[in-house]
Amino acid sequence: MTRSLLALTATFLGLSFVQAQDTSLHDFLVDGEDWKEAASGFAFTDGLCVDAAGNLFFTDVRGGKGIYKIDVTTGATSLALDNLPGISGLQIGPDGRFYACHNKGQRIIAISPTGEVEELAKEVKCNDLVVTKKGYIYFTETPTKRIHVITPDKQTRVADEGNVTKPNGITVSADEQTLVVSDYGGKHVWTWQIQADGSLTGAEPYMTMELPLGKEEAAGDGSTTDEKGRFFVTTELGVQIFDPTGRLSGIIAKPVPGGKVVSVEFGGADHQTLFVASGDKIFSRKLQTPGHFGK
Amino acid sequence: MKFSLLPLAAAVIACQSPLIAAPQDDQYLLGPDSQVQPGVPQGKVTQMPAWDQSKLYPGTTRDWWIYVPAQYQADKPANVMVFCDGGGFVKPDGQFRAPVVFDNLIAKGEMPVTIGIFINPGVFPAADGKEKPRSNRSFEYDSLGDLYARFLLEEILPEVKKSYNLTDDPEGRATCGNSSGGICAFTVAWERPDAFRKVVSHIGSFTNIRGGHVYPALIRKTDKKPLRVFLQDGRNDLDNQFGNWPLANQQMAAALKFAGYDYDFKLGEGTHNGKHGASMLPDTLRWLWNAPATK
Repeated sequence: MTRSLLALTATFLGLSFVQAQDTSLHDFLVDGEDWKEAASGFAFTDGLCVDAAGNLFFTDVRGGKGIYKIDVTTGATSLALDNLPGISGLQIGPDGRFYACHNKGQRIIAISPTGEVEELAKEVKCNDLVVTKKGYIYFTETPTKRIHVITPDKQTRVADEGNVTKPNGITVSADEQTLVVSDYGGKHVWTWQIQADGSLTGAEPYMTMELPLGKEEAAGDGSTTDEKGRFFVTTELGVQIFDPTGRLSGIIAKPVPGGKVVSVEFGGADHQTLFVASGDKIFSRKLQTPGHFGK
Repeated sequence: MKFSLLPLAAAVIACQSPLIAAPQDDQYLLGPDSQVQPGVPQGKVTQMPAWDQSKLYPGTTRDWWIYVPAQYQADKPANVMVFCDGGGFVKPDGQFRAPVVFDNLIAKGEMPVTIGIFINPGVFPAADGKEKPRSNRSFEYDSLGDLYARFLLEEILPEVKKSYNLTDDPEGRATCGNSSGGICAFTVAWERPDAFRKVVSHIGSFTNIRGGHVYPALIRKTDKKPLRVFLQDGRNDLDNQFGNWPLANQQMAAALKFAGYDYDFKLGEGTHNGKHGASMLPDTLRWLWNAPATK
């Protein structure tokens, strides 16, 4: 069998990309595994994040007391940190602290494991955030159409303004060179290249979300990334998965057909369990791929 | 940042689907018109400085090349043919060897004096040089709409016109591509028949990567455009989450026939690679440039 040089080159160079690219739902879902209820009894769950061990943390924006934890071993839910109501976005940073969009207090805060709070930005209508391994914090401010960056030396700057109608969910590519923001009020998931100083260039509506019939807004919300660089975006239709080149691979149906999904993160000991915040509950299901964050 | 003359071709190839040949493809071989022939004047291929100042795809950079036939005369406007994924088409030992085919056909008077413009898709360079650039190929090629046509008309053609005399007659301007480059070639002419009227698509992705599956329906219900369209596909081409390539290309051909287009469709036995299209390229170009117009 003869193969052209180009074909050989593409095959050789492209293998890892291709595995991450040409993926359908068959490559993500596990036969026989459906959504399972992981926590319940809340008002409006949000702010999913994960630690290295695979414990899942979340908040209850409307009714909660603080940061809740689903234990990776027992599956039990507990209040991990009290007296922190109204957090809408959460992630553990490279220093081991929680970083939070304290939506209720209109500020970005860092919280030590023992509960000491440091205020990093104030008077911001923050929605969701992501923290890079280099310690840059990016957060969305939905009503002002802005994305802000807080640099490791604690300077807050506007990183993008006006491109995204309702900037909401936020994540980074697996190599952390690309910032990704979902639009709650449109149909695109936007991307930028992250520059060495934390600034953003090359704004582009790189991914197009599937829309509910008759609507022009996908309700793009909380987002995360898997180990191979695929993006998981919560929307009105479900969790939409995009490959690293921005192509829609598939849509994981919502756990409650008429309900919402607003936040998504991988957890579990192998980081291969997908958790979603869905109204008063958290749901989880096993996938074939591990997440990017927390490790 | 300036990234002139970066060797990006390899990175771009790595981001594309593999062009892996299967046994069904072995019947497709290059003929004499795709080989350098003694005594035939050879045109000149020039690699241009990387195009890193795009206003329509801000933040991207891309490699590109220009082929100028030996018979080109500055006082006579030359025809133009733009190749998507141009780095593969322009390679002297590649699958298509378009400059060699041009040399042979132009020398025999079987196609007009035509300048070839071979353009790779854009990439976003990673700020961290250790990381790979992010490919913009799917966004540029699979998206419907006039953005890529405008990129050619507002950025690339004016740049080429600084050095060469190109025809403004849309009948003298063609686009060509494989896979996502195939649908891109069609989209350019579909959007701007005032500027491009000849299309060659091999293994074209008229599937739902970013909505391209709607073309057969649009073609059937839209006023016939003055295009000449060549389509090639193989019965063993892709069947995946985006669609079924042989069925999609048959739908395209049927729609073009229904709407009365000037078209040709070759359905072979191949898989998702360029071998069949490459083996036919001399015949394809003879038909594209010389068949009597039926408009």
